[in-house]
Amino acid sequence: MKILAVLFLLAGFFFTAVAAIGVLRFPDFYTRLHASGKGDTLGIALSLIGLAIYEGFSLVSLKLMFIVIFIFLANPIGTHVLARAAFRSGVKPWTKKGE
Amino acid sequence: MTIDNLFVALVVGLVILVMLMMIRVFQGPTVYDRLNGLGVIGTDAILVLVLLGFLSGRADMYVDIAISYAILGFISLVVIAKYLEGKGDSDV
Amino acid sequence: MNKNADKKTKINGSELLQFIVLTITLFGFWLILSGMMKTKFLIIGFGTSLVTAWFTRSLLRLPSAAGQNEAFLAFHFPYLKYLTYWLWLLGEVVKANIDVVKLVLDPKMPINPQIITFKKPMANPIAHVTLANSITLTPGTVTIDLEDGVYYVHAITDEAARSLVPEEGEGDMPRRVACLFHEQETVARGGEMS
Repeated sequence: MKILAVLFLLAGFFFTAVAAIGVLRFPDFYTRLHASGKGDTLGIALSLIGLAIYEGFSLVSLKLMFIVIFIFLANPIGTHVLARAAFRSGVKPWTKKGE
Repeated sequence: MTIDNLFVALVVGLVILVMLMMIRVFQGPTVYDRLNGLGVIGTDAILVLVLLGFLSGRADMYVDIAISYAILGFISLVVIAKYLEGKGDSDV
Repeated sequence: MNKNADKKTKINGSELLQFIVLTITLFGFWLILSGMMKTKFLIIGFGTSLVTAWFTRSLLRLPSAAGQNEAFLAFHFPYLKYLTYWLWLLGEVVKANIDVVKLVLDPKMPINPQIITFKKPMANPIAHVTLANSITLTPGTVTIDLEDGVYYVHAITDEAARSLVPEEGEGDMPRRVACLFHEQETVARGGEMS
């Protein structure tokens, strides 16, 4: 059981790290949203599930699962709100031709 | 003991990630990039809070803080994005 | 049911059922947050849930996206089918992340970003929310804007764009969401949904 929790934690940290590196590396705002919107959601969810497994069934793990569900619903909405604000303010997307 | 070491390592790693995100927040180039970086920092901070709770043995208390942090972070992100929407981009 | 409600506005689903479901959800949320099982706290929690559910009932009556005098209830959808849909989506999310990992860690970064649009008129706002959220969570696509049933989607690679908007017909995901909310039938029968 502990090993499973450790695996979940490490996988979650890996995805979070990849999200951060992607936000740094990608060329423009919209591509950065891809990294943060997906990588962060799964990374945090996996880490919190790992902690819930480590904790066992208790009130703390229930609360952790609540955070996971909340993040799964809220993170894409946050990404979408940001993207829409940028789109309506006229931020131009980066394209390969314009290189 | 060993799992505590893992938790400490994860906290250190997450702090490094937050530092990396600070580069994005200060560098921009648009205000939306900064907001995006702040959002990522907020999500990472939730995990740091929960890990610190497990390290100190008071997970029940820290998880409550993490829940309110998650909800407040989401609401403030939406409010700021709504405020900026259609205002143009002054600092490209 | 409500004096303030416009008589012409047609509401899909039962308000009483929504009230009960919302109260139970809020009470469950209270239980998770408080964690104290004393009678006093249970009564206080149940009372607050009832009051909150009563005062938010007009906020949860969502106007139809199709523009008719029709409203949908926020907590009125097929729960079991919705759950299975989210389980399917979970697999897609993992695939999406492996895609992003490959793109980020590839030194050449083989991306070809583009904005694609497609039209998917659906009457139920909850269906729009589900579809937009799913598009953001799945491989290589992020929803940017949604106006009158037209989706503006930012796709990061050519494959991602093609998987969502194929050359002919419609993509897998919009079809699944429409099937989930019986949208085709709803439009065909003029909003008749029990």
